Amino acid sequence: MNLMNLNSLKINIDDNKIINLIIKPNNLNINNEVINDFQKAIDYIANHKNSIGVIISNENNSYSFNYDLNYLYSLNKPALIFENITKLSKAFRRLETLTKPIVSIISGSVSLGGLEIILHSHYKIADTDNKTKFIFRNIKYALIPAIGASQRLPRLIGIEHSLKLFLSDTIINTEEALNINLIDEICHKDKIEEKAKEYIFNNIISLQPWDDKNKIRTQQTPFSNDNLGYFISKIAMLHSNTSDHYPSVKTLISAIYEGLNTDINSGLKIEARHFTWLLGNVETKSMINTLILNNSKNNIKESEIAILKKSFVENYAAEGVRLLINGVTAAMIENAGKRLGFELGPLATADNIEIQSILPQLDSIEAPVAALIRSMQKDNRNGLSSNKGFFDYEEGCRIHLWKGLPELIPPAENQQDIKEVENRLLYSAINNIFYNYIKYSESQSPQEYDYIAINNIGLPKWTGGPFTWVKQNNIDDYIKNNEIYAKTLGSRFVINKKIIDIIQNKVL
Amino acid sequence: MIDALIFDTVRTPRGKGKKNGALNEVPPIQLASKVLQAIEKRNNINTEDVDDVVLGCVHPIGEQGADIARTAVLEANWHQTVSGVQVDRFCASGLEAVNIAAAQIMSGQSDLSVGGGVESMSRVPLGSSGGAWMADPTVAYNSYFVPQGISADLLATKYNYSRTDVDNYAVSSQKRAAEAWKEQRFKNSIIPINDQNNLSILEVDEYMRPDTTMQSLGALEPSFKKMGGIGFDDVAILKYPELESINHIHHAGNSSGIVDGAAGVLIGNKKMGNKYELKARAKIRSFASIGSEPTIMLTGPADSAEKALRKANMKASDIDLFEMNEAFAAVVLRFMDVLKVDHSKVNVNGGAIALGHPLGATGAIILGTVLDELERRDLTTGLVTLCVGAGMGTTTIIERI
Repeated sequence: MNLMNLNSLKINIDDNKIINLIIKPNNLNINNEVINDFQKAIDYIANHKNSIGVIISNENNSYSFNYDLNYLYSLNKPALIFENITKLSKAFRRLETLTKPIVSIISGSVSLGGLEIILHSHYKIADTDNKTKFIFRNIKYALIPAIGASQRLPRLIGIEHSLKLFLSDTIINTEEALNINLIDEICHKDKIEEKAKEYIFNNIISLQPWDDKNKIRTQQTPFSNDNLGYFISKIAMLHSNTSDHYPSVKTLISAIYEGLNTDINSGLKIEARHFTWLLGNVETKSMINTLILNNSKNNIKESEIAILKKSFVENYAAEGVRLLINGVTAAMIENAGKRLGFELGPLATADNIEIQSILPQLDSIEAPVAALIRSMQKDNRNGLSSNKGFFDYEEGCRIHLWKGLPELIPPAENQQDIKEVENRLLYSAINNIFYNYIKYSESQSPQEYDYIAINNIGLPKWTGGPFTWVKQNNIDDYIKNNEIYAKTLGSRFVINKKIIDIIQNKVL
Repeated sequence: MIDALIFDTVRTPRGKGKKNGALNEVPPIQLASKVLQAIEKRNNINTEDVDDVVLGCVHPIGEQGADIARTAVLEANWHQTVSGVQVDRFCASGLEAVNIAAAQIMSGQSDLSVGGGVESMSRVPLGSSGGAWMADPTVAYNSYFVPQGISADLLATKYNYSRTDVDNYAVSSQKRAAEAWKEQRFKNSIIPINDQNNLSILEVDEYMRPDTTMQSLGALEPSFKKMGGIGFDDVAILKYPELESINHIHHAGNSSGIVDGAAGVLIGNKKMGNKYELKARAKIRSFASIGSEPTIMLTGPADSAEKALRKANMKASDIDLFEMNEAFAAVVLRFMDVLKVDHSKVNVNGGAIALGHPLGATGAIILGTVLDELERRDLTTGLVTLCVGAGMGTTTIIERI
């Protein structure tokens, strides 16, 4: 018998007094309407005293839910965002604490957002179809969960497995999901409803492990004996991989740490507060803008991208060598590049592409840079191919910086702050992309070009692309700092007025 | 200000901090209470006159939890009016406890106090109290947390101490400790640990390896290389971007030993000295704790020493003997370089590399060591200092009377 039919879902009840909650669309974009639909449905279920259990299923073949980011950003104020995301979380929390058994039937692919919903059920059954799988995307470039997955997943499958799933692009099949305790059973599509009902018939009362007094005591926390060493070293690993960028990573591991040291109800609030903060973070906004909201197809040819990329890499390497000539130590230069999120420092990059390939990047006033390159070439220090360059190599592996470098180019007595070195590398990289935009790609929209810049050219993703980065930071600072650089460092810091015009008028 | 007078220093032998260590079978509360009993007996005091017992302990959980200082007072059968407080300043806890006890005397709020410490590292292992500093991602990120061994290697890299430098230092610590034991230089402070049948459990420092040589140390693998490789080196370099990499040179042979032990220092005013006819062996000239950069963590001793010297209106050259806790060899080398102190004045009877470092107790132990040695050599001034977790340093300066 049909009980409710809304845009996002419908509910009915069968002769056994089992309620079916059927989610309708394939991709559910969670906005105000969806939140209201779920609230209504769960209210109804909670008040339906005669029912003996709930089966959650999907009308189509995937569980894919995402927050409607345009909707969330339209809320604008942290208080409203927090209130709205906790509304849905509270509704589902009510469902999982009804004490009636809640079963999920999993058929098709499940995204992290979909998993957030499924995690509210007490028993999870997947079918044997090989299309049924769990798809995880690294949360590094976007947001953390907001409907409790950062709290429920570690409580269910442990911290280590959870972090692996949250922090990598991973697809796991149902067998693997069963092995790590993510689901409870796998059975053929034809039997799956029967199995779901069987669970309900056999469990008059059903609790989540985090609500069951007998199980809470044995639940892991970051301080559990087996976890502490792992957890502490994982923080270091994540910190060193992200430097001080990609705030979702730190936010996720903080939500897990803070939440797992308390109960689920506080944990859910902790997660929601972190999510709300993250949504307002500049880097997160930049990445969301470019990677999610403006993710449009670009029309740039592969060959053109190759030209842009080559220019970008050579410029990055050249800026490193210029810094060296300016007296900055090689270690500082390399570390500044890595802190910005480049895989390699500029000098290691120069070695990889052969040091002479930066010569075309230099202008006429940069004779000392060219002289350094030539002097290294004379010594056969051409880079990786000759097993020596700015670094020494053994069988193609980088060992350490060339010890003779400080003699050739003595470092300045007073070193700049690392942030200054980072800034110069970043400005130089962004200016290179703008220069090539005017030269080759003006027909592209800045949004498309931002996407190419971080996905294909090599600008670190946290910037959101050059246009977004300048806009999200401060265009006046950008102009002013370039003027200062241009006075002493040359024309690569002179910005085309067209770029300023585009940022002011065409970038949101 | 009232003079805080040191009447007595007592310590247990240090047992290997492993399951096969001699003191592993002795609960920490017994180590602490045996120290208190010895203080009572040796000085013939009525414990009703003791105002407070301050004990350092770095992992105050499990059998070291719930205020082990007060528990030790009860277990030692001291008068019930004696209060007890446990303090934690990581590796300097024992010295901090002495400083707090001294401060009580100096301010006139106590007449007689005990400062000391206890740590059974074999029973309550290193790191077992957890803590937000290392495990809370927000704190660990913001403070660039790395484990202390990485800090020691970072310090060595930054200030150019080589593996040979630190191994040389370690060999000398072993030699000095062996000679000190041979000449019974610790006899005034050390008490044997016996069981309830008065059968001996441990009488000597058990950790020492007097036959250590440069060659035997050369065979040891660096202890923190693997740990550095999983991300901590990179975190250290995030904080110290002037370094290309971390040179891992510390190992089990040139770092402090993990051991069990306890110690106590009886401190009081002149009135109490007169009442019990106790000889005032020394007075506390000054003490100081400071905070320093937490990632390199171990540079605090020089800063705290300078602060304590300023407070005492003294210079480093006014100090006859130094005890600088040998947490890691490079820490002592750095301390000597900054203060321009000759090795002949520092840790003259060896240190924690040879004898071990029972975290909460060490500060009180080495205060006793320097006082015994000042008396033996008939010298006057001693400076005791320790590097401290999370970037701190604690120093105490004493002067014989």
